Amino acid sequence: MSDRAMTPTAVLRDGVELIGRFVKMHPMAFALAVFGAAAYAGAILFASWVIGWATDNVIIPVLDEGEEPDLLVMAGLVIFGVAVFKAGGIVLRRTAAAYLTGATRRDIRNRLLAHQLTLRMSWFNRQAIGDLLAVADADTDQGTGVLGPLPYATGVSLLLVGTVVLITSIDIWLGVGAVIGLAVAIVIDVHGSWVTFGLWEDVQKHRGIVSSIAHENFDGALTVKSLGRESYVSEQFGVASDELRDRIIEVNSTWTKYQVIMRALPQMLIIVLLVVGAARVTAQAVSAGDIVTIAYLLTLLAFPIQLIGFVLWDLAGSLAGWRRVQRVLDADDHVVWGSRTASTETGAAPVSGRTVGFAYDDEPVLSDLDLNLEAGTTLAVVGPTASGKTTLGLLLARLWDPDSGSIHIEGRDLRQFARSELPKEVAYVAQNAFLFDASVRENITLDGVFSDEEVARALRLAGADDFVSELAEGVETELGERGTTLSGGQRQRLALARALIRKPRLLILDDATSAVDPSVEAEILRALKSAELPSTIVVVAYRPSSIRLADEVVYVDQKRILAHGEHDDLVESEPGYARLVKAYEEEARRLREAS
Amino acid sequence: MSGSSRTTGTVIRRAFAEAPSLGEGLKLTLALAMLGQAVTVITPIVLQVLIDEEIGNPDGISMAGVLQLAAIALTALVVGVIVGRISLLRLVKTSSTGLSDLRIKTFGHIMNQSVLHVQSERRGNLLSRVTSDITTLQEFMEWGGVGMIIASSQVLLATAVMMFYEWRLALIVLAGVILYLLMMRWFQRVLARNYDAVRSEVGASLGVLSESITAIPVVRAYGTEESTKAKVAEALERRFRVEFKTARFGNILFSTAEIFAGLLTAILVVAGVLIGIQLGTSSGTLIAFLLLANLLIEPLQILVETLEFAQSAASGLRRVVDVLDGEIEVRDPADPQSLRGGGLSVRFDKVGYAYPGGAEVLRDVTVDIAVGSRIAVVGETGSGKTTFAKLLVRLIDPTSGSIRIGGVPAQRIRLDELRERVAFVPQEGFLFDATIAHNVRYGRLDASDAEVWTAFHELGLGEWVEGLAGGLQTMAGERGGSLSAGERQLVALVRAWIGTPDLLVLDEATSAVDPALDVALRHAIDKLTEGRTSVTIAHRLSTAEGADEVLVFDHGELVERGRHRDLVVCDGTYAALYADWAAGTKSV
Repeated sequence: MSDRAMTPTAVLRDGVELIGRFVKMHPMAFALAVFGAAAYAGAILFASWVIGWATDNVIIPVLDEGEEPDLLVMAGLVIFGVAVFKAGGIVLRRTAAAYLTGATRRDIRNRLLAHQLTLRMSWFNRQAIGDLLAVADADTDQGTGVLGPLPYATGVSLLLVGTVVLITSIDIWLGVGAVIGLAVAIVIDVHGSWVTFGLWEDVQKHRGIVSSIAHENFDGALTVKSLGRESYVSEQFGVASDELRDRIIEVNSTWTKYQVIMRALPQMLIIVLLVVGAARVTAQAVSAGDIVTIAYLLTLLAFPIQLIGFVLWDLAGSLAGWRRVQRVLDADDHVVWGSRTASTETGAAPVSGRTVGFAYDDEPVLSDLDLNLEAGTTLAVVGPTASGKTTLGLLLARLWDPDSGSIHIEGRDLRQFARSELPKEVAYVAQNAFLFDASVRENITLDGVFSDEEVARALRLAGADDFVSELAEGVETELGERGTTLSGGQRQRLALARALIRKPRLLILDDATSAVDPSVEAEILRALKSAELPSTIVVVAYRPSSIRLADEVVYVDQKRILAHGEHDDLVESEPGYARLVKAYEEEARRLREAS
Repeated sequence: MSGSSRTTGTVIRRAFAEAPSLGEGLKLTLALAMLGQAVTVITPIVLQVLIDEEIGNPDGISMAGVLQLAAIALTALVVGVIVGRISLLRLVKTSSTGLSDLRIKTFGHIMNQSVLHVQSERRGNLLSRVTSDITTLQEFMEWGGVGMIIASSQVLLATAVMMFYEWRLALIVLAGVILYLLMMRWFQRVLARNYDAVRSEVGASLGVLSESITAIPVVRAYGTEESTKAKVAEALERRFRVEFKTARFGNILFSTAEIFAGLLTAILVVAGVLIGIQLGTSSGTLIAFLLLANLLIEPLQILVETLEFAQSAASGLRRVVDVLDGEIEVRDPADPQSLRGGGLSVRFDKVGYAYPGGAEVLRDVTVDIAVGSRIAVVGETGSGKTTFAKLLVRLIDPTSGSIRIGGVPAQRIRLDELRERVAFVPQEGFLFDATIAHNVRYGRLDASDAEVWTAFHELGLGEWVEGLAGGLQTMAGERGGSLSAGERQLVALVRAWIGTPDLLVLDEATSAVDPALDVALRHAIDKLTEGRTSVTIAHRLSTAEGADEVLVFDHGELVERGRHRDLVVCDGTYAALYADWAAGTKSV
């Protein structure tokens, strides 16, 4: 899928630049590969010369003139020796090219990850995870794809130059013929790539369309099928597929013209040179062996010469992949870290926000928000669908930064902390619990060092000790990819334990216990409040039972805090708030009265 | 994929049967391609004639003869170009048309299967059936396939010409070539074993990499950047080492083939001269032989390489055919029966369901749902609620027992009629990357903008749409990503509603909207579905309180049923569920 159509000139320009960048990463490997390619080209030239020499000095004298085959064994040995040399060149070229490609890919993937880790979450949030994975996988492969054939192409270029030199050294007229013939071949080949280039890009674009239609409908299959729209979407897919078919046919009707000509041209050149050669033999300027050398060489050249046009394709393919890699590497929405270290204090910390504002895609999500929390307070954040509750949680954890205003923990702006210091004070748990393909223990400790007692305590506080002890190998149980063996509530409790083991001074729970039974959830919240080192806790929640356990509540709606106070007071003073938290209760009462 | 034991031949025949356009005029195309390539042997022949008849001629070279020879050769080459072009174009046309047909057929077949939502983990695999597998086939037909035909016709002709010149030398070349081929095959087999190790390291490194990228929010929250980078770097380094080791090994193996080709040429020169002395072979013939041997070795290399290509194309085709062979579980009836108008009743009779090759997730469910009743279905995760809903709307068919809708056996109702009368709203709230209006129209293709508006207003969501920057024309984004989970569910609900169904089945369809809106939607739906039947799978029990009847599922069985007020006083599953729910909703 190309983002925009490129002209061949632009492909050449950008392509050369791209190759230069890759070569700079591993210049030694590239140099070795080119050296191998040169050896290979030299071997081919020498092999042709040897065959010509054998013709003049062995084959014709012995077969046609009845001389003794004195040099025969030597001719055989030389031919064999050249083949060994050629094989050596091939090994060197291909091995160095494999190193170049593999090492470049490895380095780019490492860089991609390192780069993404420095970017803001607001950038990350705008990306489809699937796209980012594709960039690190297929796009990186495609972007560096040109590195494989590059040394070979270099070898072919050297071979062409060598061919002209060799033939010219045999005879100037044959040399002129060869230069003209090869020039014509290259011009036709490059021209063919040139004129069909745009059409190929178009084919790629349509491949992308077909693929995304399939992708979307497979993803949403349940919806498509429950609405009975199978034939409707199949029809859409059919139109796109046939469009792709037409593009493929269109490009090929042009491309095959060049293809067949390219295949026949070296042959035609041989015939022409044979005629010129015959004339030059008559003039006693060349020998029969020279003609054989030329014919033999051009036969060997027939295949590689067809590949010249492909360089443009390889480049274009690489550029298309690289553009997508580059887009990620160019993202410069970096998080800026300060230098402040975490406090040596433990226990809950006071938190405050001043005139905090945040917009998403230019749409304001929160504005002019002030917040003051004393150390050890449990705060519930309540609001209707899409009111900005989650955003508030993310801002408090500095996963996102406010566009205006600032947030402080114990008087220190969150943005002043050094990278590794902030997690020592603040922990954030999302609704969607992410677990790694690792053991329960590793999922909780991550890269930290914690004792068995600390792990056990965190599990207990998170209400996860019971089910973990029932797992086959307790805390050492491997969870498998994304922890799919556990229920949603169990996953959430492990994610909670991961936060608790760090004894954060501020703990933010964004609907982090939504899949846990209400009674278990209430137990967890109570345990947190009475823990020996309590945190300041911010809970984004719907359930009145969780809200009731909070010391204070902020009611968020219309992009700001509408009210801040105790639950009972807010129920009295804020009709919107009361409607939200009492919705189910009221409904139950209404139904009881109705019956 | 299930390991298919069919031979490549059967699979190809099957593909031709599925997409007959693939085979149109194929024989003529192949014949033309061979003819187009046949002319390549002309060069060695010209060289032989030139050396023996002209240069070796004691009377000197006749330029007229040389020119005549060249004219014949060039004419043949030009004819080859024309014929070659015709055959290539024919091939691209048939292959593109045939493969497009095959792709469309495969897509339609997959959409008609239940596998996409029953075994969603296989979606990725199925996607490659209609994308990369078909592309591989296309590339093979255009490059590899042609390459193979051309290479083999070149090999055949070169061999024939050699035999004609001197059969003893030809036999030496043939013996060498066969040895060479065997050697290449053996290399490939040795290498294939190494590739397994490469594949597993590639998979492992991508696994670690994709986990780390997906986990970026967690990494950020816990500041574990350095350890994450180290873990990925280690996996990538291991992969690189294995890849490089295999490449090095493969390169050495393949280069020996080059040495072998050199050895063959050397033997040909030595043996050719020695045999030639005895038999009076001409120098031109021997030189033509050297060129012909070259003409043989290169296409053979191509042939061996495309053989691998052919194998991957064949296994791609096999995977496509396997999909086409996959049974369509939910089929249109052969002798359909029409539904009567008005509300629909439902009857489950001893219904059970087991996933293919899996445990039974629903057992022996017998239940009657009267026309116009409002049913709530409750139970814990994994209790069988969702399976019950999918059976009800015939997204899957029961593995035992039977279901009647509106008195008609569900499997006798035409699917498009069923979908028109019965609407199902799943929990996921999937939206297409299009406008909100377009998304709603999936529920009724001919709905006007005004009708879409009305549907939103009927459900009390007019204000919400008006609040969106672009109103009905707001883009939903990929998978609806521009909207919140709750908002996506609202659109999905309207989409089902606009089809004015007689039986509405909601599967936790409002799980992500706030409580006040949830209750308001419930009221709107109840009012609108007056006289029609509605079945709601609920994880919020407020729905159950207002329902005419509650069905309680536990471990795949229907354990309790009745009105809320009756169930709540029995000391059963429902009472326990409700107690927990009530504790959670108490605001004072």
